[in-house]
Amino acid sequence: MRKSSSRSPFGWSNHNGTVTVIEAPIARSYRRRAVIAFWVTSAVVGLLAATVASHYLHPILGALAGVAFGVVLGAVVFALIVAWPVLRVFWHWLPEILLGLAVVYGWVALMQSTPLWLSLLIVALVVGVPAAIGPVRRRVMSWAWCLIVRHRLRLCFAAFIATNRHGSLPLILLARPTPAGERVWVWLRPGLSLRDLEADGQVQKLAVACWANEVRVMRASRKYAALVRVDITRREPLAHTIVSPLPDYVPADIPSNAPTSPGMPPVGLDLPEVPDQPVTVPADAPRPRKPRNPTTDTASPSGFDPSDYA
Amino acid sequence: MDLTDTLELPTNPGPSDTVPVGAGLSIFDPVFLGIDEFGQPVYLPMIYRNILIGGEPGSGKSSLLNTIVGHAALCADVRLCLLDGKQVELGLWEDACDVFVGPDIHHAIRTLYRVQTVMDNRYTFLKARRRRKIGPDDLFGQILVACDEIAYFSATAGDEKTQKLFAALLRDIVARGRAVGIIVAAATQRPSSDIIPTSLRDLFAWRFAGRCTTDVSSDIVLGHGWAARGFSSNTVDPNNHGAGYLIAEGGIPALVKAAYLTDTDIIRVADYATWTRRHTGTLTTDNASPARAAA
Ligand SMILES: Nc1ncnc2c1ncn2[C@@H]1O[C@H](COP(=O)(O)OP(=O)(O)OP(=O)(O)O)[C@@H](O)[C@H]1O
Ligand SMILES: [Mg+2]
Repeated sequence: MRKSSSRSPFGWSNHNGTVTVIEAPIARSYRRRAVIAFWVTSAVVGLLAATVASHYLHPILGALAGVAFGVVLGAVVFALIVAWPVLRVFWHWLPEILLGLAVVYGWVALMQSTPLWLSLLIVALVVGVPAAIGPVRRRVMSWAWCLIVRHRLRLCFAAFIATNRHGSLPLILLARPTPAGERVWVWLRPGLSLRDLEADGQVQKLAVACWANEVRVMRASRKYAALVRVDITRREPLAHTIVSPLPDYVPADIPSNAPTSPGMPPVGLDLPEVPDQPVTVPADAPRPRKPRNPTTDTASPSGFDPSDYA
Repeated sequence: MDLTDTLELPTNPGPSDTVPVGAGLSIFDPVFLGIDEFGQPVYLPMIYRNILIGGEPGSGKSSLLNTIVGHAALCADVRLCLLDGKQVELGLWEDACDVFVGPDIHHAIRTLYRVQTVMDNRYTFLKARRRRKIGPDDLFGQILVACDEIAYFSATAGDEKTQKLFAALLRDIVARGRAVGIIVAAATQRPSSDIIPTSLRDLFAWRFAGRCTTDVSSDIVLGHGWAARGFSSNTVDPNNHGAGYLIAEGGIPALVKAAYLTDTDIIRVADYATWTRRHTGTLTTDNASPARAAA
């Protein structure tokens, strides 16, 4: 929801479309937090600054300077906290922003320093060569997926993973390409646990949101319960056959005197060769007496049940 | 690999051909199982462990079992005791193993009794020596009991009492065999409670679930609740034979593609294993007395 406030030029209102919508209670909690931070910072910094300054100035002047310094720093902290929702968006999109800036500035610089045909050629090479070479292209694409996946996960966390009362979402740490897809490390905030992510159908929803085949969530550290690993699978990396190395242990020059089991005449291998016989109760069948357990000889035939053998 | 230094060994009465040498493997080495989804090799330590392999028909259970048996066959001090209701799955190792049990539940039970006796004798021996478990290069070697299609023995063949007896014996071996080097690797399609008693199933520390038809089947192999956490071998591509979830050292299922031994490879390895075992006198075919290990 959109909230207009005269007290703040930005913060809990969404200016451009990408800002996550901030709920009113969360906005209020941010404002309250900012006010508290302002007073605490002003007081602590002011006191410290006044103490230090009065060593050099007249005590009253020192105290005034300290208070002024504290108020300024408190205001900075206040502004930072109030602006945090917007700053956070910049932080989340930092790689894209930097990349975009690099492209624009690089393009401009190139155009200014070389003739048009040369700059076009250079651009064609820079774009075309990685696109033409398979491994490089896949590498670039997998890194691009890492960027995408972090945004998708953030969206999921905001959209349907239960958050705590402050609305703080899990911290999305590094993402790394794997042969199957991506692996993302996540630091859970107080109020969340692995179980919330594993709850009924959550991983399937994550998979849908990440445009993936499958998502698995597991602990990433034996020490910290908060550190969680999200494995996103989009490809089948295990399609080809793995050859066992065991034959390599066999010397090449073993003589072929391997014993062969006695041959068996090909009799009874087709249906007509096997006569239709009445089924006998298994108890009638003679069987070797088993030592140590005479009780099994008392037969209680249950017969053949093919459904067990499935 | 070390053909050169063994050629001088005078102990082996190798006739005209090269002297057989052990492959240099030990069951204390982890078994190469395949690769995981990150392309890293997966090694599975089998000593002091048992593994249960499940999955739908054609998911690659027997191939995985063959890989484990193949490793053990190349270990000089491991005796093989193979039970295979389908005969062909482990049948290529018939000459290399000490006991091969086909679709004969009474033979299977007699064999398990033998193994059980060996186990008891070994524990008595260890107790006399004030030890708690065996180590590498011990007085006696290890025994791999590999059973393909447990369902045949525990739910199909014979009558209910025999099946119960089989399950009870196997459970005892799985439960107590660990410390004296008796390793059980068992495969079956769907280890639900009507096939194997849950008390037996839950003893297997390590699980491999090849592709399963449902999430529930996957959970039956891996343990309850893994499918809900995203680890369901139902998601494995049916055409991707040998891929599945493995629960081993980490305790968390890992997607693994098992290594594959072609029949030619198996025959080659099995022939070599048979040959070395014959020459070193390790191979005792069916008329070995169980009391032998008690010494
Ligand atoms: N690791 C693997 N890599 C490649 N192909 C494999 C692998 N494992 C199995 N296969 C293929 O899958 C086929 C079936 O495998 P396997 O006989 O092991 O299945 P299974 O699970 O034992 O089936 P069943 O339940 O009917 O005994 C094999 O013939 C082989 O071609
Ligand atoms: Mg099989």
